[in-house]
Amino acid sequence: MRRGHRAEQLGLDRRRFLAATAGAAGAALLAACDSQGPASAKKLLNYAMARNESVERRLFQHTSIDAPPDGAIAAGQHFPSYFVSPDVPVWDESLNGVWRLEVAGMVDRPLRLSLEDLASLPRTGYKLDHYCVEGWTAVATRTGVRLADLAAAAKVQRDARYVDFQSFDDGYHESWDIESAMHPQTLVVYAQDGHYLNAAWGAPARIYTPVKLGYKNTKYLTKIVFLPERNGGYWSDQGYEWYGGL
Amino acid sequence: MTTKRHHIVVRVTHWVNVLALTIMVGSGLRIFNAYPAFARKGETFCCYPFEHHPIPAVFTFGGWLAGARNWHFAMMWVLAANGLVYLAFIYLHGEWRDLVPRRGVVRDSWQMVRFYLGRRKDHPRQGKNNALQRMAYFAMPLVGAMAVITGLAIWKPVQLGRLTDALGGYVWARYWHFMAMTVLVVLAIGHVFMVLSVDPYSIRSMITGGYDDTLSPEARNARPFVHLRKSRAEEPST
Repeated sequence: MRRGHRAEQLGLDRRRFLAATAGAAGAALLAACDSQGPASAKKLLNYAMARNESVERRLFQHTSIDAPPDGAIAAGQHFPSYFVSPDVPVWDESLNGVWRLEVAGMVDRPLRLSLEDLASLPRTGYKLDHYCVEGWTAVATRTGVRLADLAAAAKVQRDARYVDFQSFDDGYHESWDIESAMHPQTLVVYAQDGHYLNAAWGAPARIYTPVKLGYKNTKYLTKIVFLPERNGGYWSDQGYEWYGGL
Repeated sequence: MTTKRHHIVVRVTHWVNVLALTIMVGSGLRIFNAYPAFARKGETFCCYPFEHHPIPAVFTFGGWLAGARNWHFAMMWVLAANGLVYLAFIYLHGEWRDLVPRRGVVRDSWQMVRFYLGRRKDHPRQGKNNALQRMAYFAMPLVGAMAVITGLAIWKPVQLGRLTDALGGYVWARYWHFMAMTVLVVLAIGHVFMVLSVDPYSIRSMITGGYDDTLSPEARNARPFVHLRKSRAEEPST
């Protein structure tokens, strides 16, 4: 009888113990997970991001080009704009002199191009999708100079592997792999839908390619720097995928 | 009498799938909330009535857009690899026979529906799975494959542009990805509801593998919330 009683007590205790353990485990899990999931997962996520990048870079082909569906309507005035400065960044000539785009870093012939210089170079225009990291797309015709043409003019050195696109928008920049930068649809854009860029869309010039997410495409461009190593970026440094390819 | 119902591979892949799918759905909804609509900018979209209404935050996972994306693009490999292991296993081990719809599955499903609605008194004869289960468990990997394919199309709309085009372009591919998720969630909710209300004894079979056939829904003549305990009618009367 005694044994039976003991067993019953033990059973109860065990049930209580199990309930307490489950409760504690649940609480620990909740504590470990802020809204972003358990902190220990961060390493795993970074590992996955690195693995994904190598898959994405293997998938990348220069011959894969973007073409919006036939019926797609250009976004026009509905094209969203954003910048990280408190106000729309505008190049102030009285302060900074005439705007010029610098092509620098691992190049044998650094360039300093005014807007007129850019506009006099061979012009390329495409009707392209814009893929935002948020999930929306917008169609616009982008006109400018192929970055591959500028790279050839600047005589980029063979061991340049990365390119940093810098701006006068409060230090905004994003660096890319050189393969994406040399894609035929990667343009230094100075006109959108047939008009020179306005301030909201990144005047005087911006980089644009459909093979990178919107945030990789620096607006308010000032400098294109060819590098041996990657140089992060405004959003990439905050946890967004550095590669951001499409 | 306990028999072994689910192989260890089926049990492990089932629970890995629960975890992976939950995280994929939660993080996917968080990503969706960054632009809870389908229309291309400057256009309207025909076929989603809740444009610009975000999903309630409690159903989302990842905290912020980058967090959710990083979870989504990590967990997708777990989901896909787990799905492939499961499919390869049931193909090689023969379990697919219990899942592929048989001739007469529509008629049998109709009989199950009639039984659940109380229009038929006795549980239709069944083997391991009833006709409705067969259809649901057969559909799950198919819709899962659709989720993977549509997911690839919106992950790489330029590099895999032909796939994206085949699905009607990025906007439609994103929509089909969302719809595939919706179907998976509906199937999962229906599954959990039926497990709890008709055959809670099967939970054990998905953990230890063991299943007491005298407690099967057919033996109990069970419909949702009816005859949850073993039926007395089954016991020999004097």
